[in-house]
Amino acid sequence: MIACVAVVGHQNNPLYLQSFTGADDALKLHHIVHCSLDVIDERVNNPKRSVITLNESYLGLLYPTESYKVYGYLSNTKVKFLVVTTDLDVKDTDIRSFFRRFHAAYVDAVSNPFHVPGKKIISRIFAVRVSGIVKAFAPGTYG
Amino acid sequence: MVSAYGRRFYATKPELAAHRIEAIGYQVGHQLIERYTMERPRFNDHLEVIKFICKDFWQELFKKQIDNLKTNHKGTFVLQDNNFRWLTRISIDPSSDNNDGSQGSSSEATNLLLYFPCGIIRGALSNLGIPCAVSADSSNLPFCSFMVRIKA
Repeated sequence: MIACVAVVGHQNNPLYLQSFTGADDALKLHHIVHCSLDVIDERVNNPKRSVITLNESYLGLLYPTESYKVYGYLSNTKVKFLVVTTDLDVKDTDIRSFFRRFHAAYVDAVSNPFHVPGKKIISRIFAVRVSGIVKAFAPGTYG
Repeated sequence: MVSAYGRRFYATKPELAAHRIEAIGYQVGHQLIERYTMERPRFNDHLEVIKFICKDFWQELFKKQIDNLKTNHKGTFVLQDNNFRWLTRISIDPSSDNNDGSQGSSSEATNLLLYFPCGIIRGALSNLGIPCAVSADSSNLPFCSFMVRIKA
């Protein structure tokens, strides 16, 4: 079950945060996302060559804690995509394909000429697409 | 678009028109680079980014690659295009050379036109994390060269 998805810009400014749990814990999710940003910076600046290749976009599991896991993905333009999930077993391929679709939706939202780069994404269509991707992911064990 | 900005909106202030056109190019480059680098793994250094601009990015935009790339290894790159697609059909008025050195209207229009690809390159590079300044030189149409100076 995906708890929330987030997009963070290259100056660590939040561009989009959407929670799918139904409970009113937006602040807690903000906090989780913020902590994960530190992990991403660490991974990018000190690459462990044996574990992760230098120029891989998908960063994998960042931050497993007691009830959730956070996966990260870094684009070429230093935009970070984060997924907080409460599932215990999610396949790597599922998450990778989720990030691919998420990135595609983000690129379409940013190509809007009325979107100001650096400001929050306010496109309703983007929100609808992201909800669709999340719904398609939840029951899926296929990629 | 360029002629609208050059003649109608800022007819008496060509510098403002140039600035505006370059800013439009900046936003376009910014957004395009997001789309074109989606599938790629991340870049390691500046040279790889410039090579990407010369090959894949130019290929997507102008259906050809940059013909010549020069660098001084100190942050300056010169991208040369032997047949810049957007300038191939520009007419050059042979009677525009005046003795007092004033520019013919055709070269002014060309200059305004060239601010747009300069903006595209600048937007693309700064979205990839490389702040820079781009200038274009078109003394010999349709041969065109863009000089990219990376701000350290």
